[in-house]
Amino acid sequence: MLYAVWTVKHKPKSLSEIVGNRESIQTFVDWVKSWDQGIPKKRAAFLYGSPGIGKTATVEALANEFRMEFVEKNASDYRTEDAINHFAGLASQYRPLFGGKRIILLDELDGLTGTTDKGGVKAITEVVKTAACPIVLISNSAYDQRFTTLRNYCLLLEFKKPPVGEVMKHLTRICSHEGIQIDESALRFIAQRSEGDVRSAVNDFQMLAQGKKQLKYEDVSWLGYRDRQDSIFNVLRMILYGKTCLSAKRAVDMADVDIDMLFEWIYENVPAHLTDPHDLTRAMNALSIADVYRGRIRSSQDWGLTRYVIDFMTAGVAMARQNTKASGWIPFRFPGRIHSLSISRADRAMQLRIGQKIKRKSHISAFRASKQVLPYLKIIFKSNIEMATGIAKWLDLDREMIEYLGGSEEKAEAIIKQMG
Amino acid sequence: MWAEKYRPKTLGDIVDQKEIVERLKSFVRSRNVPHCIFAGPPGTGKTTAALCLTRDLFSDAYREHIMELNASDERGIDVVRETVKTFARAKSIGEIPFKVMILDEADNMTSDAQQALRRTMERYTETCRFVLCANYSGKIIEPIQSRCAPFRFSHLPREEHDHFLKQIAEKEQVKLTEEGAEAIFEVCGGDMRRAINTLQASASLSKPVDAKVVFSITGKASPVDVQKMIKTAMGGDFIEARKQLRDMIQKYGVAGSDIIRQMHTEIFRTDIPEPLKIKLAEAVGEIDYRLVEGSDEEVQLSALLAKFVEAGCDAKK
Repeated sequence: MLYAVWTVKHKPKSLSEIVGNRESIQTFVDWVKSWDQGIPKKRAAFLYGSPGIGKTATVEALANEFRMEFVEKNASDYRTEDAINHFAGLASQYRPLFGGKRIILLDELDGLTGTTDKGGVKAITEVVKTAACPIVLISNSAYDQRFTTLRNYCLLLEFKKPPVGEVMKHLTRICSHEGIQIDESALRFIAQRSEGDVRSAVNDFQMLAQGKKQLKYEDVSWLGYRDRQDSIFNVLRMILYGKTCLSAKRAVDMADVDIDMLFEWIYENVPAHLTDPHDLTRAMNALSIADVYRGRIRSSQDWGLTRYVIDFMTAGVAMARQNTKASGWIPFRFPGRIHSLSISRADRAMQLRIGQKIKRKSHISAFRASKQVLPYLKIIFKSNIEMATGIAKWLDLDREMIEYLGGSEEKAEAIIKQMG
Repeated sequence: MWAEKYRPKTLGDIVDQKEIVERLKSFVRSRNVPHCIFAGPPGTGKTTAALCLTRDLFSDAYREHIMELNASDERGIDVVRETVKTFARAKSIGEIPFKVMILDEADNMTSDAQQALRRTMERYTETCRFVLCANYSGKIIEPIQSRCAPFRFSHLPREEHDHFLKQIAEKEQVKLTEEGAEAIFEVCGGDMRRAINTLQASASLSKPVDAKVVFSITGKASPVDVQKMIKTAMGGDFIEARKQLRDMIQKYGVAGSDIIRQMHTEIFRTDIPEPLKIKLAEAVGEIDYRLVEGSDEEVQLSALLAKFVEAGCDAKK
């Protein structure tokens, strides 16, 4: 589970693990419990508040703690008649024949957009009116005009951003699970930066801390750099969610990074934000055409072609969105190609040193040798001392290199002994 | 290492790339060499051909007339200004009035450095001829391309590949089975450097080299493979597939041209409706061409991966 996302891995399992919003949570619990005494006046609870503060987590933790049958749906699934009938069927039973009590969550109500989904809200309202089991609705805002009627049938519960101290509590819990030691100043820095968005705090924290045992203030302070670059997020939003070609193209003027860096940001973030396969293909194709023009600029040195690079990497990507709905809050990620932490610096240095030795003997760059030849040498050095001895001599490797390739001191000892 | 030990020494030793070798031999006969670009995938004999050419030209004294520079280690403009220029302008003594500069992996040079190189090539043509080796000729700036004789290297065909490996196996007293040779060809696809390295690593296990041994070796040398990546993409997980692609390129140094060739083979093996296969083949061809043009490997190949995600999704309908 090395690559598990921490927001999922460390999701609160019980209500006590949720930070902040004690009052709202208590009201919510009381309401759910009241179902045991018969159907309450309000048959749905409407949880609203800014992204990443634990609305969904609260419902999940509650269902887990009370051992309820938990049905989770995305609101935007309910736009066909079949789906709505299915939903109504589910909602008509509190104690199904098999399994415990049932609770239904309809997440991301704000995902229902525009006129096409008008029917969706209406259908959901109808089901809520007659529901026989608790229904939970979640949205960033409850006061959207579309929800006016629906609101009347719901228990409204506002979720607020938890204070810094509470966010720190949550991060501390993750630290102890992951066995990471962290300075309080570093913890406070991450918590403060998140401005109450616990999910983004955890995402930031994972990016900084994964694979480390210890985290100091210096390790996290570079995030401040990202703060100054905050505009890059706005730029990305304008491109990935742009409605017109012009608005997406205009984003480039706002970016304070150069075109190549902006390209990397877009390239990194497209797949998470355009999840429909056809949209994704269109967006990636637009990026690949932009890249073709970068190549043409390089070989022809005609910088005028830059305008086409911009067209495709901005407007091309924006126009790719045809099916994917904006849904919830998806974090923007720092370009991974640049931030590649695949191997440690010490490893890389050693590989390059051996690469230099190979280069001297075999007409291949040290860089390429370290990638393409070195893996084979590792196998040879681990499995055949005689062959390894010959190669070590020929390449003039030192003890450290032999140990690195052989993987152990004993192997290195045996090889060096043979070398005489 | 065997890859070096069995590298052909003269043009006559080179078994494949017949048209290219013939043209190079004619250069030797006329004692004149133009500037050249050797373009083609890794392990197809570009550097070898360049080395053989100079050796045939200058015979024993070749070391004094040749300089080998690796652009991916020394790719900056300073290197071109200093090292290359110094070597290029010095007059050479002997029957042939010029020296040969081999610029390996020239497509990794920055375009500034290429501009500088272009001027150097022009000014010192009398005293120095350049052989540029590159995976993609498209990454060489046009002014340089137009000054060079182009040579396009391609992967060794199966027979030549097997023949060469068997010769090595015989001399090293290693038992290489028919299936073993086939397995090496399947994974390395005619990249001779990788093929010979794979053979040597397999032989180091002191067992007959059969398909099982070969696959276990290549599995260790590069744990992510194209087949797995395509499966991931077809299953709909683009982000993971792109990560695997990134690992292949960055961590294990697999060439984009190799990846795309294997992707092409895989299309016709996957279980999707027939019309989708030809649609994918069209996409692969287009991306392949974009790579040759000199575009970014990861960006292009991941655009192609997206098409596989799409196909995987369409196939389910």
